[in-house]
Amino acid sequence: MNDTNIQNKKRFTISPPVTALIIALVLFLLSGLLPNGFNDWASALRQAMNILRLASFIAIIGAGQTLVIISGGEGIDLSAGSLVSVGALITYILINGNNNLILPVLLLVLLTGAFVGLLNGLGIMHLKISPFVMTLGMSGVVQGTVILLTKGYYDGKVAPIMTQIIARDLVPGIPGMIFVWIIIGILMTLLLERTRYGKELFAIGVNRVTARLSGVRVTRMVVLTYVIAGALAAFAGFLLVGYTQNAGPNLGNQYLFPSIIAVAIGGTQMSGGKGSYFGTIAGAIVIQLITSLLTTMQLPQALQQIIFGSLLLGILVVYGRDKSLRA
Amino acid sequence: MKSIVLCTENIEKRFGGVIALKDGSIEIRPGEVLALVGSNGSGKSTLTKVITGVLSSDGGTITYHDKPVSYSNPMAAQRAGIMAVYQELSLIPSLTVAQNIWLANEPKTRFGSIDSKTMNAETAKLLTLFEGTFQPSLHPEAYVRDLPLDERQIVEILKAYSRKPEVLILDEATASLDSKQVNCLFDLIQLLKSEDKGLVFVSHRMDEIFRIADRAVILRNGKTVGEVLIADSNEDEIVHLMVGSNVGLTRELGGRMTFSAQESVLIVEDLENEQLNGVSFNIKQGELVGIGGLRGQGQSSLLHTLFGNSHYTGKITLFDETLSFDHPKEAIEHGVALIPGDRATEGLLLLRSIFENFHLPNWAKYCRPLLKMKSAHSDAEEMGKQLNLIMESLDAPVSSLSGGNAQKVVIGKWLLREPKLLLLDDPTKGVDVGTKSEFYKLLVKLQENGTTILFYSSDEQELLDLCERVLVMQDGKVKADLSGDNLTEANLVFHSMGATNNNNHHEESTHA
Repeated sequence: MNDTNIQNKKRFTISPPVTALIIALVLFLLSGLLPNGFNDWASALRQAMNILRLASFIAIIGAGQTLVIISGGEGIDLSAGSLVSVGALITYILINGNNNLILPVLLLVLLTGAFVGLLNGLGIMHLKISPFVMTLGMSGVVQGTVILLTKGYYDGKVAPIMTQIIARDLVPGIPGMIFVWIIIGILMTLLLERTRYGKELFAIGVNRVTARLSGVRVTRMVVLTYVIAGALAAFAGFLLVGYTQNAGPNLGNQYLFPSIIAVAIGGTQMSGGKGSYFGTIAGAIVIQLITSLLTTMQLPQALQQIIFGSLLLGILVVYGRDKSLRA
Repeated sequence: MKSIVLCTENIEKRFGGVIALKDGSIEIRPGEVLALVGSNGSGKSTLTKVITGVLSSDGGTITYHDKPVSYSNPMAAQRAGIMAVYQELSLIPSLTVAQNIWLANEPKTRFGSIDSKTMNAETAKLLTLFEGTFQPSLHPEAYVRDLPLDERQIVEILKAYSRKPEVLILDEATASLDSKQVNCLFDLIQLLKSEDKGLVFVSHRMDEIFRIADRAVILRNGKTVGEVLIADSNEDEIVHLMVGSNVGLTRELGGRMTFSAQESVLIVEDLENEQLNGVSFNIKQGELVGIGGLRGQGQSSLLHTLFGNSHYTGKITLFDETLSFDHPKEAIEHGVALIPGDRATEGLLLLRSIFENFHLPNWAKYCRPLLKMKSAHSDAEEMGKQLNLIMESLDAPVSSLSGGNAQKVVIGKWLLREPKLLLLDDPTKGVDVGTKSEFYKLLVKLQENGTTILFYSSDEQELLDLCERVLVMQDGKVKADLSGDNLTEANLVFHSMGATNNNNHHEESTHA
């Protein structure tokens, strides 16, 4: 996994996702020592499930982010946060408590996300706007459109089945959201490792000239990746509203930054071409644990943000060493 | 005989184990243009770079104004009055024309700040030397990044000229200029000559050498092998000096098949784009055709165009089908493969495994829709064995391989597709001798199995050893089509240089 072991093959190295999981375990045990921490197995399990459920939203928003970052070319999706909000709002307003509307609305949510992703991809590839600027701009456009359409007033209700599956326990002790997450995790890993799309995604992330000369349609791949990322972000909004039971135009914004850090902690190279969804899962759990810890310790919001920002920079310093290997 | 301003004796330069220069000896005299002539890799550029301090020498002496000198960097040589203009441009794209010309040499105001007004005015004055040969977009305050290649070359020439050098070396400075611009440059050279400056002119164009040079020094395999006065010499004599005695070497490896009866599988008519100026030729099934000529005459561009990687006008007929590829993928689907020139930037995914590099063009074959990893793995394993690939495992990163082994991966990923037309863009550059000979055997084997091969190499010997037919390119055109008895090193070099008045070697080729 780690490229530093090319030179000295014997050296013992641990891959970033495993590192992240070990950190997560340590953090979790530490959190048990806090005054209001757990003191028996049952409460520890309950606490763990709670952390996992919260982490699942970061990880699902981070799924699209993982793809976009692997695609290289300074790929990043800053519109993901707004898309989560949009997905949540559409679901909240249109379903309005009606179980029969779940599937059509889900389809609409996915299409909306895909459409915004398409605009991102086209702007990046055809207008040659850098992904950072393009998706940041798109985030503003999306958010503005939401406010324009709703006029700041929104009313609705989540469908009962959604609450049942996402917010409640599906099996005693395990929230349904965990199962949704496991399915997405398996699909994402298959997508990256066992499909032609995944193989070509890594290829364009490493070297787009080589990819093109090997018959990969680079433009099409990049646009498609932003489309998938958009759809995934909006889908995360759909799931999130099932948990929060309430939506708002800013619901998703707080998840944008954590989703990017989760990808980085998981060892996905920020310059593209290397990474895994397993890493993002591990990263999301670490992020959620830290957030919970900081909240339990009652640190002010501003301080939490400082800690997150420093964390991201620290990770990039530690992981960013094998850049010289890229063409 | 005039005095000598700069002379080099027995200059040596090694790059690792490769000897680029063994005995570089030239004398530069004031008021004279010295042409430096030699085929690819004969050490011309290395020698000029040693003189200007870009490279340090491993032996020999440089005498400048009767004193031994050795410059450790180009700035030191410049201060002493030795300037060079290179083909690989050294301008800074994000600066203006004037800023580039006066870089590190800016006129100052009384207060020590840069005097932009004087700088721009002086630049405008310099530009009049090339008046009428460039677009109005070239002016002192234009940014270099907005200029086409020929105008950048003009700026580069003027930059060197503005430093008022004692010795000016022009290394392939005419390669990107049109004839009017070349005329202006030659006027400038005449002007410098009349001022008793020493001039060195490196060019691959025979006609230019005969127009402007007074004397020529010929290099072969890193050695100075001769010196002629242009007025008393002719193209033949120079070509003979360049080629030396190994004329008429026979091909050892090539199958020497005859192809007169068969149909052409690839017909190229009038191909044109930025680098190609009307290329036409035919290739028959199972032929191994070489592309020769000096570097950068459109060879790579031709291969990339055939592979669908460049826009073009003209007609390409492949296997009786008129094609217009607009992406390499379409070419690949028609059985074409391109082994690119630069492994690291065009051929490999350095961060990924050997396995993934092997299969990058091939994944579609294993889609069910999930990839059949087992069969992909065993196919790659087998290809590794077939190519004698030395590796730790298929899952090791491709960056862990040596140069020769990495090149095998680039080749292997196409062999897995069993291409019908194989295009090779100088594939043995920087590959060790052992791998090279394995590679030659592989090409011959592929040819015997009916693969049609188009093979560009900057190594003339390689073309002579392998190919029964060589197309020589110059200025984006096929200058000569050599085969049979016409295919000799002398002819190859002769046509590469764009020589024309040859009576002994050249016979009109009969190839269609």
